[in-house]
Amino acid sequence: MKAKEGVINLLNKILTADLTAINQYFVHAKMCENWGYERLHHHIRKRAFDEMKDAEELIEHILYLEGVPNMQRLGTVHVGETVPEQFKADLKAEQEMLAILSEGVNHCTKVGDFTTRHMLEDMVKDVDEHIDWIETQQELIKQVGLENYLSEQIRKEE
Amino acid sequence: MKAKEGVVDFLNKVVTMELTAVHQYLLHASLCANWGYERLQHEFHELAKEELAHASKVIGHILYLEGAPDVQKLGTVSSGRSVPDLFQADLRFEQDDVTLLRDAIAHCAKVGDFTTRHQLEDMVVETEKHVDWFETQLRAIKQVGLENYLSEQIKK
Repeated sequence: MKAKEGVINLLNKILTADLTAINQYFVHAKMCENWGYERLHHHIRKRAFDEMKDAEELIEHILYLEGVPNMQRLGTVHVGETVPEQFKADLKAEQEMLAILSEGVNHCTKVGDFTTRHMLEDMVKDVDEHIDWIETQQELIKQVGLENYLSEQIRKEE
Repeated sequence: MKAKEGVVDFLNKVVTMELTAVHQYLLHASLCANWGYERLQHEFHELAKEELAHASKVIGHILYLEGAPDVQKLGTVSSGRSVPDLFQADLRFEQDDVTLLRDAIAHCAKVGDFTTRHQLEDMVVETEKHVDWFETQLRAIKQVGLENYLSEQIKK
């Protein structure tokens, strides 16, 4: 399958964002573990693996479209020094991801690549859910206070 | 725990190496999937997961030593147009990895950080197994011929 114009470029852009996110989530997960926040460690680690699955799907789709996946690029990894800073950095990364994905969906519609569009739409759904999760955590911190919030993160839920 | 001199630097080099390996193996898994070699896709996928687990362990250890993990660097990711090309690139990569780990182990011994050394020793065992696996595949290709070898990789 040959790709429509611009689709490979877009997919590679999303791939870079994904690969960058893997690194960011991995560091954040490990930092949470180091601070003793088991629940957050677990949650963020799972997110890193989700991103890896997305990355694999993208690489396979680029090859399917007879393109060359670019594994050599890495965006800026933003590491937060505290839990709230981590949430802020992750929220920003997810919002940027959402912007690229939306651009991708629009482009695919324009050039008539509905298979790629469908795949990207699934990814948008995941990103939306994650943004919602981060916003919920931020709101929780506001409502119960940082100390109460963090003390609930020490134990992983069953 | 404060780290001994130079240990965190070495560990960050190992992190870069492992993260580069993740990228390379993810790519090689997908290439094999695209070519129809399901068994190899599976092998590369497992390798990527293993390297990620290593990276995670090293990042954890850097934090434990109160250092700053560097996940912003990426080494050269090698690709290839055929399965033997991929194997050659991966073999070279794993051999470099072994060299780095051995240097790091020697450094830890010198400064007396035996906890880190112990961890790196576990990793070098794994890495040497990878080197052996790639050598085995390349030797098998020589012995049975590329076509026979590849036809065995179609089904997992």
